[in-house]
Amino acid sequence: MPLFEARNIQKRFGSRVVLENVSLAVEEGSVHGIMGPNGAGKTTCFHVLTGHHAPDGGTISFDGKDITGLKPHRIARLGISRSFQIMNLFDDTVAVENVILALPEFRVRALNLSRRVFEDRQLIDAALEVLAQVDLADHAWEKASALSYGQRRALEIAVALAARPRIVFLDEPTSGLGAEATRGLASLVKRLRQRYTIVMIEHDMRFLFALADRISVIHWGQVIAESTPDALMANKWVARSALGELA
Amino acid sequence: MYDLIPHIVNGLTLGLLFALIALGFTLIVGVMEVINLAHGAFFALGAYFAVAVIGGSWFSGTEFGAWWLGLPLATRYVVALIFGPICAAIAGMVLELCLRPTYGKAPLYGLLLTFGAALVIEELIRVFWGTGEQSLTIPQTINGAFLLGGLIFSKYKFFAAAFAVLAIFLVWLLLERTPYGAIIKAGSHDSEMVRALGYDLSKLRLAVFAFGACLAGLAGITMAPIWGLRPHIGIDVVIPAFLIIVIGGVGSFWGAVAAAMLVGLSVGISGAYAPAWAMLSMYILLILVVGVRARGLLGRKSALEN
Amino acid sequence: MISLSDIPTKSGFPLTPAMCVFLVAVASAPFWLEAVGLYSYLGIEVAIWILYAMGFNLLFGYAGLHSFGHGAYIGIGAYAFGLFQQNVAVSLWGGLLAAILAATLAGALVATFVAHRRGIYFALMTIAFGQVFWFCAIKLRWLTGGEDGLLGIPRPDMVLGPLRVSLQDNFSLYWFAAGVLGLAVLGMSRLVNAPFGRVLQAIRQNEMRARFAGYDVWRMKWLVFTLSAAIAGLAGGIFAMAQESAYPDIMSLHQSGTIVMMVLVGGGLVSFWGPVLGVLIYFVARDVIGGVTETWLLWFGLMFVVMVMLRPEGAAGLAHVIRSRLARPKAAAPAERSA
Repeated sequence: MPLFEARNIQKRFGSRVVLENVSLAVEEGSVHGIMGPNGAGKTTCFHVLTGHHAPDGGTISFDGKDITGLKPHRIARLGISRSFQIMNLFDDTVAVENVILALPEFRVRALNLSRRVFEDRQLIDAALEVLAQVDLADHAWEKASALSYGQRRALEIAVALAARPRIVFLDEPTSGLGAEATRGLASLVKRLRQRYTIVMIEHDMRFLFALADRISVIHWGQVIAESTPDALMANKWVARSALGELA
Repeated sequence: MYDLIPHIVNGLTLGLLFALIALGFTLIVGVMEVINLAHGAFFALGAYFAVAVIGGSWFSGTEFGAWWLGLPLATRYVVALIFGPICAAIAGMVLELCLRPTYGKAPLYGLLLTFGAALVIEELIRVFWGTGEQSLTIPQTINGAFLLGGLIFSKYKFFAAAFAVLAIFLVWLLLERTPYGAIIKAGSHDSEMVRALGYDLSKLRLAVFAFGACLAGLAGITMAPIWGLRPHIGIDVVIPAFLIIVIGGVGSFWGAVAAAMLVGLSVGISGAYAPAWAMLSMYILLILVVGVRARGLLGRKSALEN
Repeated sequence: MISLSDIPTKSGFPLTPAMCVFLVAVASAPFWLEAVGLYSYLGIEVAIWILYAMGFNLLFGYAGLHSFGHGAYIGIGAYAFGLFQQNVAVSLWGGLLAAILAATLAGALVATFVAHRRGIYFALMTIAFGQVFWFCAIKLRWLTGGEDGLLGIPRPDMVLGPLRVSLQDNFSLYWFAAGVLGLAVLGMSRLVNAPFGRVLQAIRQNEMRARFAGYDVWRMKWLVFTLSAAIAGLAGGIFAMAQESAYPDIMSLHQSGTIVMMVLVGGGLVSFWGPVLGVLIYFVARDVIGGVTETWLLWFGLMFVVMVMLRPEGAAGLAHVIRSRLARPKAAAPAERSA
């Protein structure tokens, strides 16, 4: 049984149908890629899968449990975590607190009125460990808004990982990164896949094809193909409709 | 039911006048995404300047003053009807210039700045016109009462309502049937587009603010004979205006008009049963409407939601 | 630039230099107030408003929820205190408890309606609810005494075990208010750097991210609104004692706007101590400029407008800029790169 499964997801905004029929099955321990041209509905798809929007039709299940229409914080607590395409960080505070805020052991104490957060060595060490995974340990005490673009991207991923999720959704992690940083990210994802199940939207084909076990191609709000990277490469039609766009 | 008729008529006229106040407000919110809490202050300024013009108090004792006061009241009233809104418009332009540093920041700053401006204008009014109640004299032709179907109605209220209808119609004409309106509406959707079309956005904002303040001043002159004139009338007035905007939907012309009529009617009809509580009905209306539909009756998505 | 969410340098010890200055100033106020030409009643008033403003800033500054109707809760606290004295029993603790309870209930009710809103819509809804409470205070004559309010509210003795202290004179009432304020400020300074406070700040910084990190944003907003209303209610209870009356004016939109102005002028958006500075600036303006000219509010308003235009970080932000300018010449060595 797949760890995460979406069946026949539909989403409309007013009269505009964004997702017509999207189905997705992600096996535990795999890296699942999503690609497709701009405006195909990829990010909306992520928003629906992680609870930001409720779907108008279809079902979503995680670990055998139906999570259709649950609020984002409920979904997050089940072990589903995500990063954003447009960066979404806590900008007034340091990198380490961005991570602390996402740690499950911190979250359960959200109502504590007197414990001193920045004296809790355990919390800070746990956060530093997550930051080390994305090579940000040296910048732990810098404000999120003061980090470079690439570092912010990495922090975005660190925040997603901090929740100790079972599945991570990454929305265009390479967006805006240079060649060097993209290579770094690829090796990070390789390391991460040993611990997490990963679903990612990605524009960078070389990046995605090197990492993903399976790839779904979304176009016009539908999954038009779903296969292994090698099989997709052989499919000319897919190559034209999705890859061609990027030329 | 028959007993209710005067209250309904009352509510409808009140609604039209509310719509007049709310129009300038909605224009500014729609184009600039600024909640202009000083709107009521412009309302007060327009009315106070009109009082000054009609009373001729600034040049009393001079020869010009004597000549001016010798003119018929109707003439002076018409001059005031033009002069008051112009003064309000100038004040509006000054405020717009002050607001410039806040563009691009959170909408909170615009709200705060205009709140401060409202306070300053109110205090200025106290300095120049005193703290007491002032009255705006109106020409005899539109004063007094008349009988209709055995009920007494105030002539002036009808004049004011007709005036409001005219003003609403003219604003609608401006927005829907002129190229200026097209630019204003474009500005409220997409400031980039206005720039791309080759219009100067800062001039557009200045013009919209001036126009909005001008409408507020006009509303002030229209309302002053009914509500009286106190320095803090600005706050009293801005609240219904912005309740109406929120109920109607931010930036929506017909939303504002519809909400104004709704508020007017609810105040008018609840006034029939519990006069002391009439004004409360509009807050309850707001909580009901916005509790169900945040964007108001006819609102569209706005940056102000963030 | 500084921000509210900067990491406390010495997080552990509650007695930071600023806290020491504050506590010493509060504790010594009665000995120098009259010497500098002020009066002891002013001390009570300032203490009450600081309490109110700091509680308000949990909501306004820390959680980023811009309430413009907060006067309602200080007013409800004042009425509840007065009604308790007049109808139940003359008791200090009972009255204050009633004040806190009434404001908490009202706050919780309103929070239920507004907690899912953000930004300007939140502000608009709070104004509307504030106006409803204000209106009720004026119109429910049988309960609140209408426009005149409740008159002749007593100042009950403070009973602490065997101890019984009269609060009749302003001097002793000041000590009481200052004690409550000191405790509340110590508590709040702890709270803003505890998980609850940091999560509130996270919600201010990025509500969506907080939600995806698993926080029930609605509940946190509801809680902070209610907590802030409760603190306002406590301030209101003491205010009723100070004034020996409770009246609707304090609930008006004007007063709700004034507290926003105070918090902003002082720099509540960037500093824990901002509200304190703001309240001080306001009362100094009122009593010092007000002593010179009737139109002090005009000048205060102008100052506020200029500040929003040029320095929205307020006095605390300004103090920070001055301090870092002064510090710079000393930092000759390039190694000096403090966070």
